[in-house]
Amino acid sequence: MNRSERKTKTKGAEAQGKTYILRLFMADNEPNSRQARENLERLQETHLKMAHKKEIIDVLKDFETALENNVLITPCLILASPLPKVTIFGNLSDTERVLAALRLT
Amino acid sequence: MAKRTRSEKTKNTTTKARELPKVATGITGLDDVLHGGFPAGRTTLVSGGPGTGKTVCGMEFLYRSAVNGEPGIFVTFEERAEAVRRNTLTLGWDLASLEKKGKLFLFGAHVDPQATISGDFNVKGLLAVVEGKAKSMGARRIVFDAVDVLMRVFDDPVRERNELYTLHDWLNEHEMTTVLTVKTSAGGDIMPRYEFLDYMADCVIQLDHRVIEQVSTRRLRVVKYRGSSYIHKEHPFIITDNGVNIIPISTVELQHKALGPKVSTGHPRLDAMLDGGYRRASCVLLSGTPGTGKTTLANIFVVAACERGEKVLYISFEESEEAIVSGMLSPGIDLRPALRDGKLRLMTAVPEAMGAEEHLFQAVRAIEAFQPDHVVVDAMSSCRRMGTEQASYEYLIRLVNACKEKGLTMILTNQTAGFQNEHEITGMDISSIIDTVVFLRFIDIGGEINRMLMIMKSRGQKSSNQYREFVITDNGIDIQDVYVGEGGVLTGAARQEQEAREALEVRRKRVEIELREHEIKQKRVEMEAEIARRRAELETAEAELKALQLEERVVQEGRDMRGEMRGEDTNSLRLKKRMPQRKGRGTGGKEGTK
Repeated sequence: MNRSERKTKTKGAEAQGKTYILRLFMADNEPNSRQARENLERLQETHLKMAHKKEIIDVLKDFETALENNVLITPCLILASPLPKVTIFGNLSDTERVLAALRLT
Repeated sequence: MAKRTRSEKTKNTTTKARELPKVATGITGLDDVLHGGFPAGRTTLVSGGPGTGKTVCGMEFLYRSAVNGEPGIFVTFEERAEAVRRNTLTLGWDLASLEKKGKLFLFGAHVDPQATISGDFNVKGLLAVVEGKAKSMGARRIVFDAVDVLMRVFDDPVRERNELYTLHDWLNEHEMTTVLTVKTSAGGDIMPRYEFLDYMADCVIQLDHRVIEQVSTRRLRVVKYRGSSYIHKEHPFIITDNGVNIIPISTVELQHKALGPKVSTGHPRLDAMLDGGYRRASCVLLSGTPGTGKTTLANIFVVAACERGEKVLYISFEESEEAIVSGMLSPGIDLRPALRDGKLRLMTAVPEAMGAEEHLFQAVRAIEAFQPDHVVVDAMSSCRRMGTEQASYEYLIRLVNACKEKGLTMILTNQTAGFQNEHEITGMDISSIIDTVVFLRFIDIGGEINRMLMIMKSRGQKSSNQYREFVITDNGIDIQDVYVGEGGVLTGAARQEQEAREALEVRRKRVEIELREHEIKQKRVEMEAEIARRRAELETAEAELKALQLEERVVQEGRDMRGEMRGEDTNSLRLKKRMPQRKGRGTGGKEGTK
């Protein structure tokens, strides 16, 4: 995953403001990051029925984006849209908690 | 200039001592304390309570580095980057322009406190950002400010420790010269959960900020420094408009310059008493009770030095510049030419205005800027008002040491309450670093008060052991011999003494005469009384005699009459002779009786 890929995915989505935009910041080979990615993919299938954009950013490769989003902790899932912004730290293992935070329950 | 000296010093220390490579901190005095600087490519921990100056310490390190062209990254977990920029502007540091030049990067790293936590996580994001930034800037120096704030998110001591080790490993691996700051609890101890940081770091510095007797004092102490020597003492420091300033006590005994040649005291007689004058690079104490002329004596030296073209820094805690100048005009000492020529600089300060560190810092800064040959402190007894006895003691000892290291002559005046207490005269336990003590006192003899001067101590030179009379005239001072009479030491005003004695004698005589006169008068009165008494006695006796005679006569007459009537011829002749007298007198009566 790199910066250019992220850009194509989010094009136009943020402008609408209603679309779900999820950004997952991860550190490439970290077990936690891999788990987070898998957990997020499972959530997408089970709970994210509406249109949404998902961006996956590897902080080791794209520190600029991490800096822009003030990401210090990995893995970290940010719900950038709709507002208010939500930040979730961790490997997203606690499904109930993640869904509550993302206002999907 | 100063910066170059500092970095040269660092280089020297590093090569000479064959120690681990060090990086100059750029903080005034800290490199001296650390014998060179922070360990290069390693971690230094700065711990301290809130407001102790941790952030400023870290920031100054990076700021000085950046100004010298060495880029650095400042990561703050507590403050906003904008707040850091704004706060440091008060120190005159323009961080924004350094950031634009790519010499400094301020990272306000904030962990969203609202964030939901689900499962495990770590600080890889932070490291990725820092690493990326460091690579792009070529930065080798980094400060993590308030790392304890970042760690709060883990809410678990074990995880905190693991994350800090991750951070530490990463820093070591990348050979970053790092400063970590961490808050300590109010007691000054590092929180138990962060104690391991002390072991992790190669160099540990503790800062502390305490208020003793209403005067706040900042202290810095190096707790450990792996593979390096350092000064183990607690060092007072201050934060000024110039950043952090530490004035370390160095190994004074070794750096003191030897006492120099003689320098005139400004008065030939005092020079003679001291076998030529004070010694250069020595510390002279002018001690005495209030009003004995300590300041005058000090200023005579000042004027003489300035006239020789030497420079004097005069630190006054007693009076304003104007008051000193006009006060000295009275004994004919004119400081104005020396001030005008820039040979004399008066530095006046209220002791209470700031802490001892700040006073010391200003004095040392003035010495460095002005480069005087001599320093006067008037009066060291006022230094107590800077706060505690300890603080003023440290102020003096550090200032004296600073002067001795530079080979400056130092004149201290000291106000004492009396002249019995030698400890007080030599002042505040610093007598060991004082080379000469001139003691001034008042002496009250013969109805007048005179000033006396005595050399109580004079290291490395002969000196007079006698009291001298010290007279302040309109034309400077005058030192006279003293006269020794029967009663011990007499002041030079022997004439007045004699006059006083004569006057007393006259008065005594007059009183004696009066006494005698009174005595005679009394005797006369007594005598007259006696006469009167005797006369009275005599009169009484005479009266008694008359009474007796009268009685006798009556008895005789009676007898005569009876004899006449009886025809007795005894005593007839006598009776006949007396008859006409008796007859003539008592005829009527006798006739009447008939």
